[in-house]
Amino acid sequence: MGAAGIVLRDVHKAYFKDRLEIPVLAGLNLEIAPGEFAALMGPSGSGKSTLLHLIGGLDTPTRGSVRVGDSQLESMSESALTAWRSRHVGFIFQMYHLVPVLTAAQNVELPLLLFRMASSERKRRVQTALSIVGLGDRTDHRPNQLSGGQEQRVAIARAIVTDPDVLLADEPTGDLDARTSEEILNLLNALNTEFGKTIVMVTHDPRAAGHAGRTLHLDKGVLDREEVNTRRAATASAS
Amino acid sequence: MTLGYVLLQNLRRNPLRSGLTMVAFALPMAVFVVGISLVLALQQVSKANEAELRLAVQNRIALVNALPERLRREIEALDPDKRRIVAVCGFRWFGGRVPNTKSGIQSLGADPDTFPIVYRELRWTDEEEQSWKRDRRAAVVGSNVAAQYGWNVGDRVTLESTVPPYLSLEFVIVKITDATGRVNGMYLRRDYFEESRAERGFRNPGCNVFWLRCTSIEAMREMQTLIDEHFANSPNETRTMDENAFAASFTEALGNLPGLMQGIALVVVFIVALVAGNTMMMSFRERTRELAVFKAIGFSNRRVFGVVLSESVMLAVVGAAAGILPTAAVLGAIGVRMVGFLPITSLTVSPTAIVIAMCIALSVGVAAGLVPAWQAIRLNTVSALRRVG
Ligand SMILES: Nc1ncnc2c1ncn2[C@@H]1O[C@H](COP(=O)(O)OP(=O)(O)O)[C@@H](O)[C@H]1O
Ligand SMILES: [Mg+2]
Repeated sequence: MGAAGIVLRDVHKAYFKDRLEIPVLAGLNLEIAPGEFAALMGPSGSGKSTLLHLIGGLDTPTRGSVRVGDSQLESMSESALTAWRSRHVGFIFQMYHLVPVLTAAQNVELPLLLFRMASSERKRRVQTALSIVGLGDRTDHRPNQLSGGQEQRVAIARAIVTDPDVLLADEPTGDLDARTSEEILNLLNALNTEFGKTIVMVTHDPRAAGHAGRTLHLDKGVLDREEVNTRRAATASAS
Repeated sequence: MTLGYVLLQNLRRNPLRSGLTMVAFALPMAVFVVGISLVLALQQVSKANEAELRLAVQNRIALVNALPERLRREIEALDPDKRRIVAVCGFRWFGGRVPNTKSGIQSLGADPDTFPIVYRELRWTDEEEQSWKRDRRAAVVGSNVAAQYGWNVGDRVTLESTVPPYLSLEFVIVKITDATGRVNGMYLRRDYFEESRAERGFRNPGCNVFWLRCTSIEAMREMQTLIDEHFANSPNETRTMDENAFAASFTEALGNLPGLMQGIALVVVFIVALVAGNTMMMSFRERTRELAVFKAIGFSNRRVFGVVLSESVMLAVVGAAAGILPTAAVLGAIGVRMVGFLPITSLTVSPTAIVIAMCIALSVGVAAGLVPAWQAIRLNTVSALRRVG
């Protein structure tokens, strides 16, 4: 499946708490090209997760338009968004969120249960996804038998097993040490450069953001500045 | 891997809790299925009784007050052309037991001439009927009693009566019956019984109950009023009722068993539903994030609802099966003999009872899973994911 671009126009998002309006995003514009790897930074509570959820169709904007690939998300119903998510996005979370009673392979297989597919095809896909993240030999381990870094790899395999166009990662290295973080970031990098996935990654860590081609800064409800990572851009174009 | 497999694995998440919840289903369902079987067996007995078109005539005041035996002729005279009554048979309570044993046998003296007619469902062979009529000491024994004491046809057995004049009489077994409702009884000849009483100075031949076999339901209704009206304001006022009414009045001490079972079942089901519902709610509250991830991955509300509900139903059905099937197997294997009040051959778990119990378990599983399944639908994926930061 080809990579998809992301276009947000004048996106507003507000939450209501005790009838009090809490504005989070206020007229945000954003364009991410197909196959781009973008990092999203900003102070805590600035709305990074909210933005990621809007792009992934988990939430809908109060106002404005969100287009991912050919889909105009703000006009889709909840059930249409759910179906859309299963095909077009893969989520990666800070806390991995694996099902503890299932093995690595079974966790990766979970999203495929939504598709009509021969079991041999399913097995092949799971094995491929696990090989890509470098866990081809850990398929029968349960999450509690894996390290944090390995758990995150399983979560990444789960995100890519359906071959989505877009990967959305919310602080994927937030809970990992520097070395393991580096491995996970290299893996995301490879998914971007070699498999052409469009990636949006929220992070607090400037070094993590350095792996992306572009870093967007979110503050006070809008993207107030951005910077292009030339070093990474160079390695990306070199490969 | 299927979704069913995922559900099954989820039960392993907290094995102790899953186990206890299953026990909470297993135990009441085991008791329930036995109770239901009992009720069904009794219902079968009463259905069989209905088919026999029998009326019981007893003393209006109490069963123990015997009616004079001449009342049989008077009753017969109420239907001179025998349009409504097939035959009348008088019974006197013998109250016997095997010497040196404690438990009594429901033993009754019956009029020898009409007993085979009024109780024709015992399916008499010519030979059995002739033996009964020929030998004054003849006795017909229910299969439970015969099995309990190891008696066979042709055996001579002695029974002591526990009521005055405390006769000790010898009988010859001419027939063993497994007819519905008769398996715990023993029937002897009243003429032999009365003569032995007379020898001890008890010269008041009488019957605790006259059993009438009627020709039709209408005939039964007519005779019921006719008899009681006939003996009204006489020294021997009667109370006439059909066989099930008679049996019910007789087992009143046991209470209304079906009603009681229903009451217990309702309470138990309610409690199990609460316990299971609470457990399911706890179990899913701990997994809010996981359900949110399922939704983020693309599981629709309908699917998530199904996942939660199925887990609850699975727990309920597996738990109930774990209680019911071993109970049924054990009862089937050891075949508990019901000797005593209840006119049932042996207590086995009926397939109907199993089906009823499983349906109840299923409904409780659905009921218990409904709230958490609804909560799973309502779950706000975004806030659930955010809660962990
Ligand atoms: N469901 C909600 N109800 C009320 N306020 C919310 C809700 N979700 C998020 N917020 C608020 O929106 C703001 C942005 O949250 P979030 O996107 O999680 O920020 P970040 O990921 O950048 O830390 C925060 O102030 C948060 O309190
Ligand atoms: Mg966040």
